[in-house]
Amino acid sequence: MKLHLLKLFLNEFKKRKKKTSLITFAIAWGTLSLLLMMSFGRGLSNQFRIGFQGLGEDLILVNGGRTSMDYQGLPKGRAIRLFASDIDLIGRLIPEIKRICPESYNLGEIKYKDQETNRNVRGVYADFGPMRNTIAQAGGRFINPDDVTYSRRVAFLGWHLAEELFKGKNPINEEIYINRMPFKVIGVMMKKLQNSNYQGLDYDHVYIPLSTMALVDSQKYIDMMHIQPTERKYARYVENRVKEILGEKYRFDKDDKYALSVFNTIEAGEIAGKVFMGIEIFLGLIGGLTLLIAAVGVTNLMYAMVKERTREIGVKMALGAKRRHIVWQFLLEALFIFLKGTFWGALIAFNIVSLVRLAPMNYEMTSIQSYLLRPDFSTDILVTFIVIMGILVFFSGIFPALRASKMNPVDALRYE
Amino acid sequence: MIDMRNLKKVYKTGSIEFEALKGVFLKIEKGEFVSLMGPSGSGKSTLMNIIGCLDTPTGGSYYLEGRDVSGLTFDQLSEVRNQKVGFVFQSFNLLPYATAYENVELPMLYNGKKAPERRQRVDELLTMVGLYDWRKHRPTELSGGQQQRVAIARALAMDPPILLADEPTGNLDSKSGEEILDLFTSLWKAGRTILMVTHDTKIAAYSQRTVHILDGKMEADI
Ligand SMILES: Nc1ncnc2c1ncn2[C@@H]1O[C@H](COP(=O)(O)OP(=O)(O)O)[C@@H](O)[C@H]1O
Ligand SMILES: [Mg+2]
Repeated sequence: MKLHLLKLFLNEFKKRKKKTSLITFAIAWGTLSLLLMMSFGRGLSNQFRIGFQGLGEDLILVNGGRTSMDYQGLPKGRAIRLFASDIDLIGRLIPEIKRICPESYNLGEIKYKDQETNRNVRGVYADFGPMRNTIAQAGGRFINPDDVTYSRRVAFLGWHLAEELFKGKNPINEEIYINRMPFKVIGVMMKKLQNSNYQGLDYDHVYIPLSTMALVDSQKYIDMMHIQPTERKYARYVENRVKEILGEKYRFDKDDKYALSVFNTIEAGEIAGKVFMGIEIFLGLIGGLTLLIAAVGVTNLMYAMVKERTREIGVKMALGAKRRHIVWQFLLEALFIFLKGTFWGALIAFNIVSLVRLAPMNYEMTSIQSYLLRPDFSTDILVTFIVIMGILVFFSGIFPALRASKMNPVDALRYE
Repeated sequence: MIDMRNLKKVYKTGSIEFEALKGVFLKIEKGEFVSLMGPSGSGKSTLMNIIGCLDTPTGGSYYLEGRDVSGLTFDQLSEVRNQKVGFVFQSFNLLPYATAYENVELPMLYNGKKAPERRQRVDELLTMVGLYDWRKHRPTELSGGQQQRVAIARALAMDPPILLADEPTGNLDSKSGEEILDLFTSLWKAGRTILMVTHDTKIAAYSQRTVHILDGKMEADI
């Protein structure tokens, strides 16, 4: 294709803008809906992952249960309780564990001046912070190892609870009462997305050193053991080892499914991740089929355009146009319409996605908004899209173009 | 210039065959101005299209400037159409979205002529047909006579040795028609070979020689 012929084409294309605007619009529309669909699908699965990690990253949660199998002469139905000392034992015996943290919780009466409410009080170790993503907002801190060692009466507040008690006032260094025992507030939790929980969401609770739990609660055993393996691939291994070690200590069968209640978020997360990938693939497939239908429609429109321009093709042939000139003309036209349409469609999609992402996130509950408000316009989506589009362009353009070039000049000229 | 012997054209529409040209002999020398006359349906356009290489004969031989054009490929015929013949149609056939200038320029674009050469040639031709001031206008903004003059300028763009015109004044009022015929006369006087279809003896009178066709056969020259 020589430059002057390209200029000729561009000139014609410019002047025929109105006639091609319908196809351009159709393509822009298709691009827009497809990219939005893919971006929202991706956002959904991203948000799910983030929300899942809101409970904590790569955690295995272990709690005592009740045996369901006889073991070494002991009857089934025995309650199994875990204690803080088990933490040290397990931590020592399994090197594949990165962090391990106990937790004991109970409903308590929380009071600040004349504000009073009943919430979960959770006694934990310092590692709870990084493990459960309970990070302090600026100006505060989470419970540290010394707090635990010296049984300091310090409290860390969920952000929602803090808002409720302090009504916008800075809670740091203020004194609150938990079951009538005074505690000093050392930090408030940063907002996070959380879509799985036990005993309610983290933002509504108060956290104190496990060693001070005895002041507010008479329970001796712990309610939960948080375990984080050094690597994800050890998830199952660590879980089995924990069952073995505790089974030996408390004398239950390591294969007894009910002696301990275990929630392996790593495995659950992987399964859920696959479900969401499935949803993404499904959306992509629908999108692909939509695109295919669109391509058929565009091919038809291109045929109609060739037909409409039959006489013009005849004139051009009479003036010396070769077959390739005619083929290129229509192929380029298809290409330009697609480029224009996809450009506008992608631009609008990008802007919609950016705008939606500006919407404030609702952390109050595990709301549907949190899944819909963070669409992700990733480059891999765009690249996939452009590749598929490019192939479709070629096929919707080439056949009408070939038909045009195969016309007989006389017949084309006689066409009304 | 043109040498046709026993030229035949059979149209096939489905199973129906129709012989539009039944063995035409035609010879036109360089520098002649010839009228082709005949009643409607006698095969004038069919013959013109074959001469202009827009269509191919089904029998006989056709030499254009001493070259046998049967057996040429589509693209080779395109080159012949581009360089050897200028075609003027009854219905002008200008590209509707292109200006007068762009219409005249088109054959040169297919030939790959350089921009300065194209501009000079287009300006020269539009001046010759008296439409230089209208070069930026589109066909719809021009009268029929003006459109046909643009079409003539376009037909001459590649300076072809022969100009073919199929009822060039058929869609024009008599005054515009006269202007076109005057233009042809001056082109002929400047050395161009012209073959023009008409069924009007007054129009044929502008030419130097008239040939008659009837039912796909030539009658003796008058
Ligand atoms: N493409 C075609 N298919 C079938 N018949 C045709 C075709 N073109 C022309 N004819 C027939 O050939 C005859 C000559 O047509 P044409 O050359 O157009 O005549 P003229 O130009 O002298 O009026 C007419 O009878 C016409 O119907
Ligand atoms: Mg005719």
